[in-house]
Amino acid sequence: MRPLSGVMENKMAASGDSAGCRPNSTEANSKWLDAHYDPMANIHTFSACLALADLHGDGEYKLVVGDLGANGRHPRLKVLKGPSVLTESPLPTLPSAAAAFLMEPHEPRTPALALASGPCVYVYKNLRPYFKFSLPPLPPNPLEQDLWNQAKERSYWGAWQGFGCASRRSRGDSSWPWPSSGGDSRKEEKAFTSWGKQGLWSKQDRIDPLTLKEMLEGIREKAEVPLSVQSLRFLHLELGEMEAFVAQHKNQPIKRQTVITAMTILKKNLADEDAVSCLVLGTENRELLVLDPEAFTVLTKMSLPSVPVFLEVSGQFDVEFWLTAACRDGNIYILRRDSKRPRYCIELSSQPVGLVRIHKTLVVGSTQDMLHSFTHKGKKLWTVPMPAPILTMSLLEQRSRGLQAVMAGLANGEMRIYRDKALLNIIRTPDAVTSICFGRYGREDNTLIMTTRGGGLVIKILKRTAVFGEGAGEAGPPPAQALRLNVPRKTRLYVDQTLREREAGTAMHRAFQMDLYLLRLRAARAYVQALESSLNPVSATLREPLKLHAVVQGLGPTFRLTLHLQNTSAVRPAIGLLVSFLYNESLYALPRAFFKVPMLVPGLSYPMETFVECLSDKGISDIIKVLVLREGQSAPLLSAHINMPVSEGLVAA
Amino acid sequence: MGLLDKLSGLLGLKKKEVHVLCLGLDNSGKTTIINKLKPSNAQTQDIVPTIGFSIEKFKTSSLAFTVFDMSGQGRYRNLWEHYYKEGQAIIFVIDSSDRLRMVVAKEELDILLNHPDIKHRRIPILFFANKMDLRDAVTSVKVSQLLSLENIKDKPWHICASDAIKGEGLQEGVDWLQDQIQAVKT
Repeated sequence: MRPLSGVMENKMAASGDSAGCRPNSTEANSKWLDAHYDPMANIHTFSACLALADLHGDGEYKLVVGDLGANGRHPRLKVLKGPSVLTESPLPTLPSAAAAFLMEPHEPRTPALALASGPCVYVYKNLRPYFKFSLPPLPPNPLEQDLWNQAKERSYWGAWQGFGCASRRSRGDSSWPWPSSGGDSRKEEKAFTSWGKQGLWSKQDRIDPLTLKEMLEGIREKAEVPLSVQSLRFLHLELGEMEAFVAQHKNQPIKRQTVITAMTILKKNLADEDAVSCLVLGTENRELLVLDPEAFTVLTKMSLPSVPVFLEVSGQFDVEFWLTAACRDGNIYILRRDSKRPRYCIELSSQPVGLVRIHKTLVVGSTQDMLHSFTHKGKKLWTVPMPAPILTMSLLEQRSRGLQAVMAGLANGEMRIYRDKALLNIIRTPDAVTSICFGRYGREDNTLIMTTRGGGLVIKILKRTAVFGEGAGEAGPPPAQALRLNVPRKTRLYVDQTLREREAGTAMHRAFQMDLYLLRLRAARAYVQALESSLNPVSATLREPLKLHAVVQGLGPTFRLTLHLQNTSAVRPAIGLLVSFLYNESLYALPRAFFKVPMLVPGLSYPMETFVECLSDKGISDIIKVLVLREGQSAPLLSAHINMPVSEGLVAA
Repeated sequence: MGLLDKLSGLLGLKKKEVHVLCLGLDNSGKTTIINKLKPSNAQTQDIVPTIGFSIEKFKTSSLAFTVFDMSGQGRYRNLWEHYYKEGQAIIFVIDSSDRLRMVVAKEELDILLNHPDIKHRRIPILFFANKMDLRDAVTSVKVSQLLSLENIKDKPWHICASDAIKGEGLQEGVDWLQDQIQAVKT
């Protein structure tokens, strides 16, 4: 039974959490109950496409999801009840926003559901399609219209053109090979077109799909009025598909429609929780539209300098309202009721990724992994850095405690909750969260719904007893700043030194710099000398990269000396190496002071052991030099000085 | 008076009174269950969400029950603990079809069991896995698993699958509760 398995998975996930994969799991667990986790829920969406609403008026809140589908292929409208999908219906295009709003003040007060998708808003009541609002069409490009008209008339002329081609071919024009009917014919067609514009060829105007494509591309690049969807789709097609497309679409008039990029709701004339609301739409052609909730006529239209992507509103349409639009040009524009153009502009240094309004402040997430806060007049309040890129943002409103906070889903799988600058809580999710929604779900008031990048669904319920306390030290200056330091009194010496430093500062600095340079010079000289005499245990020559490392073990009088010789080259083995020991023969005795090294395979460390016997009983120790030599060369490749320990065995005896 | 009371008590004419708390989340069916347990002439037809709490009385073969039917809404749940002292038994109602809020029911149960007024008392708890008539209801065994009832070691408890609208399973539960209360008393 599927529902049960969901809960069981959730339980398992919870136990996994407590096993220690979450650093602050104790804190997280104390505030949230893991109600449901389904990693295979197959919900791919953004916060704008999530809405919670009592769609049937039975007090059981449902979750509306405008699902983009995996890879954005099969957009669907899903309505979830509890952990499972209640209804599901396909959408023609990708959804851009979902919202629930009250259309009329009469009973029963069941909210309607609005789903913005492409150029339309689909309105559902009781989960049945109720109304489809389409954005008013825009005037098409006259040139584009002209071209399609010509393509339309081509059919009358097709036979004639065929004849023309045939005649060309029969003439045997070698400069015009038929199969690749490239530029030549198109030039000709262009000439026709230009004549057509002059009215000379008004009856016989015609262009083939290839020409149409070329000319449409020309328009796309130059003209101010963008192309219609029909033309853009045509430009995508392969050569073989064009003819059929033209035949299918040539009789349809060219329509140019913009698409909806953002949608939100604005109370009409009452501030109540369940007041009639208008839809506010942001469109791709840089406009904001406010729709009448009953008639779906455009009540007001405002223009913006850029395309809005996130909208926030406050106030009531008939009284006074503030509209905040975060736009693609990285600016946030603030409009008021009677302004047709933005009143204030906040310039962000990067693109916005989320916009949340709390009372009169705005919180904006930017692509620079920062949360910025502004007043509703555009004055910056604070900035908080995030540990990872922000993926989505939403508002957390806990009415029973009057708490409003910002939730930000981060790319590192964290969901952070901030009240002003103070971090209240971190929820760690198994995958990066792409959409968040908080509110009443089912019959539970404080439910947090998150969907993850992999299509998973996480539902958490805020505990009744949970209180978000401000994290200690998070707000205001750190406590260390308030500590009084025990600064000693100024002594005579201190004053004299300060005076001297003030007077002879330049000279002191010069003396210091001089010494520093001398020190560096000496260090460099010693280094060069060490390199020249191969005194160092790491060979610097490119031909024989070697590393030597020696260990002396034992208390004496017999020590064990282990040399670790490693060939550090990537591929080349080292052959024909010799090891020689130089030592004071009156103090030490070695069984073999000179031996051959086997072939060194790159990367491996070869231990070579030998015994050293200390001959002196006076507690004297000396240095033993180890030289690694190449056969036939007198200069050592590398050398090491081993400080022998004092032989404790003999001293004790 | 005292003599008469004792006499009637001995003869079994006057039933012993017990105070029972009826707890559970909102919309789990607490009021409906209590309503079904009342004599049929005293039952009400329409059940509305309880505000605060209401006191109901009904009788079984040997006991007179006074039930504190507490409201299950989130904002009234902090009232529950004020009645823990008086309660001699607890009826905990669970909506078996609300899988999402099973964790909330478990949370409230844990808070209840860890309350100082309840923790050290051997107080019988009757669970009703209610709304068994609904299609997506889970079994009473599953409910007891989800609420980890097996961890309740120091209190007698019993879980009954019930359908409060039809009244199925209620009598079984109340019979068990009556036996437990009498066992505690004697």
